[in-house]
Amino acid sequence: MSGGSASFRKVLQFRELPILVYLAVMIAVFSIAVGGFFSFKNFENISRQISTVGIVSIGMTLIILTGGIDLSVGAILSFAINIGGLGIVAGWPIWIAYPFMLVLGLVLGWLNGFLITRIAVPALIITLGTMNIYRGIIMVITKGRYITPIPKVYEAIGSGYIPFVFLAVILAVFIYVSLNTRFGRNLFAIGGGEQSAVYSGVPVRRYKMIVYTISGVLSALAGMILVGKSAFIQPQAGLGYEMSAIAAVVIGGTSIFGGSGSVLGTFLGSVLMGLILAGLTMLAVNPYWQGLITGVLIILAIALDTVRQLRH
Amino acid sequence: MIAIENVSKAFPGVLALDGVSFTIRDAAVHGLVGENGAGKSTLIKILSGIYPDYEGAIRFDGTVRRFAAVHEAQAGGVATIFQELTVIRELSVAENIFLGREPVRPGGRLDWKAMWTSSREVLSFLDAPLDPRALVRTLSVANQQLVEICKALVLNSKVIIMDEPTSSLTEHEVRQLFALIRRLKQRGITVLYVSHKIEEIFAICDTVTVLRDGRHIGTVDRQDTSPDQVISMMVGRSLSMLFPERQARRGELLLSVRGAGREGEFRDVSFDLHEGEILGFAGLIGAGRTELARALFGATALSAGEISLHGQAIGRFRHPSRALARGVAYLSEDRKREGLMLEASIRENMSLAVLRRVSRWLFLRRRRERELVDSYITRFKIKMTSVDQLVESLSGGNQQKVVISKLLMTEARVFIFDEPTRGIDVGAKYEIYKIMNDLTAEGRGILFISSELPEVLGVSDRILCMREGLLVREFTRAEANPEAVMRVLTGGNAA
Amino acid sequence: MRRTRTGNWRILLVLAAVNVLIMGLLTALSPTFLSYGNLSAVMLRMSELSMLAIAETIVLIAGGFDLTIGAVMALSATVFGTLYVQGLPFALIVALALASGVAVGALNAFLVVALRLQPFIVTLATMSIVRSVVYGLLKGNVLSDLPEGFLNLGYVYVLKIPLLFLVVLLVAVLAIVLLRRTVVGRRIFAVGGNERTAFLSGVHVDRTKYLVYSLSGLISAMAGLMYTARIRAVVPDMGITSPLEVITAVLIGGTAITGGKGSVLGSLLGILAMYLLLNGFNLLGLNPFWQTIILGTILIYVVGQENILRGVRAALHRAKIGRQA
Repeated sequence: MSGGSASFRKVLQFRELPILVYLAVMIAVFSIAVGGFFSFKNFENISRQISTVGIVSIGMTLIILTGGIDLSVGAILSFAINIGGLGIVAGWPIWIAYPFMLVLGLVLGWLNGFLITRIAVPALIITLGTMNIYRGIIMVITKGRYITPIPKVYEAIGSGYIPFVFLAVILAVFIYVSLNTRFGRNLFAIGGGEQSAVYSGVPVRRYKMIVYTISGVLSALAGMILVGKSAFIQPQAGLGYEMSAIAAVVIGGTSIFGGSGSVLGTFLGSVLMGLILAGLTMLAVNPYWQGLITGVLIILAIALDTVRQLRH
Repeated sequence: MIAIENVSKAFPGVLALDGVSFTIRDAAVHGLVGENGAGKSTLIKILSGIYPDYEGAIRFDGTVRRFAAVHEAQAGGVATIFQELTVIRELSVAENIFLGREPVRPGGRLDWKAMWTSSREVLSFLDAPLDPRALVRTLSVANQQLVEICKALVLNSKVIIMDEPTSSLTEHEVRQLFALIRRLKQRGITVLYVSHKIEEIFAICDTVTVLRDGRHIGTVDRQDTSPDQVISMMVGRSLSMLFPERQARRGELLLSVRGAGREGEFRDVSFDLHEGEILGFAGLIGAGRTELARALFGATALSAGEISLHGQAIGRFRHPSRALARGVAYLSEDRKREGLMLEASIRENMSLAVLRRVSRWLFLRRRRERELVDSYITRFKIKMTSVDQLVESLSGGNQQKVVISKLLMTEARVFIFDEPTRGIDVGAKYEIYKIMNDLTAEGRGILFISSELPEVLGVSDRILCMREGLLVREFTRAEANPEAVMRVLTGGNAA
Repeated sequence: MRRTRTGNWRILLVLAAVNVLIMGLLTALSPTFLSYGNLSAVMLRMSELSMLAIAETIVLIAGGFDLTIGAVMALSATVFGTLYVQGLPFALIVALALASGVAVGALNAFLVVALRLQPFIVTLATMSIVRSVVYGLLKGNVLSDLPEGFLNLGYVYVLKIPLLFLVVLLVAVLAIVLLRRTVVGRRIFAVGGNERTAFLSGVHVDRTKYLVYSLSGLISAMAGLMYTARIRAVVPDMGITSPLEVITAVLIGGTAITGGKGSVLGSLLGILAMYLLLNGFNLLGLNPFWQTIILGTILIYVVGQENILRGVRAALHRAKIGRQA
């Protein structure tokens, strides 16, 4: 995607068009088939769900653009809110608890980045390992128990339109970064031709560490929004988020091989997935089928992408 | 001015450059020629900063510089356009040109205007009607190359190295490239033009340096020399290279290929191979020989053509297992990546193609396998400690012997050897020639692909020359001499 | 530096030694460790994971990757349980349960071969699909209405050894024979060792991949039935932590993540080590979730070691050859 505002619209026409069409169709179908789909209450649920997955997916997009992957996003989310949650019940004020969670996300994300760039092990394996390490630590510290009670003030961030506001801001920031900053454009280079990027003097290692760190912070932020949802924090929080994030990213048109894609596409992908899941719930379809849909969508998206790659 | 002083570089098992010294003048187009393996690509990589370790020195305008990384070389004014283009497909032309050094406004925002303006300047200097905002993947190869050249210019390069720049260009695009090079020269930029195409060298270069076997043979101004002389320098080694005596006894028709073709790689190839015959395939990179061999073997699909064995029409092979079943075996040119399983043992590697033969029903007969493997180890004197030794710890020559043993075990009638002696020492080469002789003495036939002319000439009974996907000429052993063959291969028809 | 196939034996010996060490430690720390009751409980509990380890080993050796092992385990158990309630004959539901595993394996293979998708992502996606099918079929319930005889299998002992464990040993022996003594096994190693070399040597790479993924599915399905027999119920969350545990054990056991090398015996020793650790934690009253943490760390460490070692070996090799030149 080339930058600049004029070409921005031009690109929007090509890459994201298919998914926009799906979205429009989906919205139309659901509003007809399901009464009350767009009621306020429902909207709040959808908004929260889309926002949390969406925020995590944006971080995942940056990582996948560089040719990497992060399976530990859900674990980082859970870690941040659980450990932070312990602080909350210990009496920490909100202006300490929230930054603390973000810092945790930053540290864990940074750790991923550090391991991936220093040890010659695929990001896949490393984040598989860290996912389990982080979750294990959570279980040991919380002893598997829910953290409660959570003061009402923590619900603010997760109610009404607020989650969407966060998502919108982050979306805007990272669309800008990916289109208009050296760092952002270089991510495409790292994924599309790491050797060339190295030859051209791009600080590949540093940039990779940055994307994993960003992802960690975003995961923590998503967790903070989730906390508002219910009166307790559970250690299983964020389970499956990595799948949803990857799904949103590939469905949104980003190549799993790295080097091409868009943040906006990911956003649309997460909206699509959020709507599908919410719609299915309203249609009283068993929520367990979510995994199936996610899996099928991922395969379709990757297959399409592979075909596209082969053609070039 | 660039002075290359006594530069040498060694890799495990081979000396790629041996005391190379010559000078490159400023604002000149300097050609660098040599056969495959002459050392051209090693020299380029040293100049580009990819290999910081080498002996000797390189002086730029009197000062010795040693580049530890590619972007250091770029900062030092040397940019390289490799044969394998390094553009980032998903980024625009302007972004590729400025990769890693994108102009930035205060606050971090990319300065698109500056990028586009500068890009347009460079593009117009090169007379290239490209839109700086176009995505590189939408461009033709020639235009992608242009983008790389722009990148070099914007880096304020004083030297631009072009490695086989015309391998994917049409004639028209080649002419445009030459016009561009002349314009670069006018601007005072030195172009190091690396190619094996003599006609191009003589069309565009002012000076020519010839490398052979890692050594510098000569540097001459274009007007002081001729294509024939350059070719002579490229190939003229004393044919004191040892080849085992060969008594060619030609038998029945063994393999017959008619009209073989594959989209974009080769077409209209027809030839015969007889029992007891070594049929050499000479050609330069990109000539299509390996592609032909792989398609004949069934590793890739032929889009046209028929194969016959012993007069019986076979059609085409759909899978290597079919070819092997019919007695056709292929030795790949890339020993490490396609001939061996590096982390497996000698025994496992050798028996891979004949598993059925060393098994009964589904079970491996270990003893039978062991006997077979041992017999070949003895026969070829493979130096190893144990049959269970991992192949990656063997020397190059011994590795090649393992691969050849694997093939020989198949008892094929037709062997396709693709660069069988690449990267191994003289002694081991001789042994492989002997093996080829023995095979043909048994009545088998060999298709022998090699880029080392002396080898092809010294070993083959007949030589087929391929150029850009076509079979252009056949020589008998008697007719063939290095210059004549090279002339055909390079298209320098100063006949 | 000379490397031989027998270098693998060193890993196995080390693992065996480690296991013996742990056992010694545990015996010292807790008198009940060496009791027959405890040991047979360990054997039983190891059964399913050992089966999954065998399955994963085969796939890894062929250069692939299978994240669906736990999900298939749950799937076959679910198929078995739900069909039993319908009243179908025992043999048939067993066959169908196993067939479901093979089907998933074939699907994985199809996506990897025909669509050329990366095994990790593919099996990540199919794992999710299979899991959701399981949840969908069970609707969150636990099935305990199962055949009487079947439910007692967990208590059957042959020569004092749990029957289920003997099944594991049998499958292990078959797998070892397959891998080391048959033509098919050689081909599996070849495809994992270097796919292009195998192809040019006449091996049908695609067929081999179909085979290993289907085998993996079959063995995982068997594990599902065994697990169900042992815990006497079908639980929706079966096997959800298995991929990590199994892959870690398999990698520790000497199987390379890149394929071409591996050992069923090593994988089993790895599983044993893991279980001994867990058993030890239980006996000592430690939080079992430490195991997850340790496993994650070991995973990174082991794979990293392999790569670092390979780099070191390669460098030493180059130096040696350089001297010879």
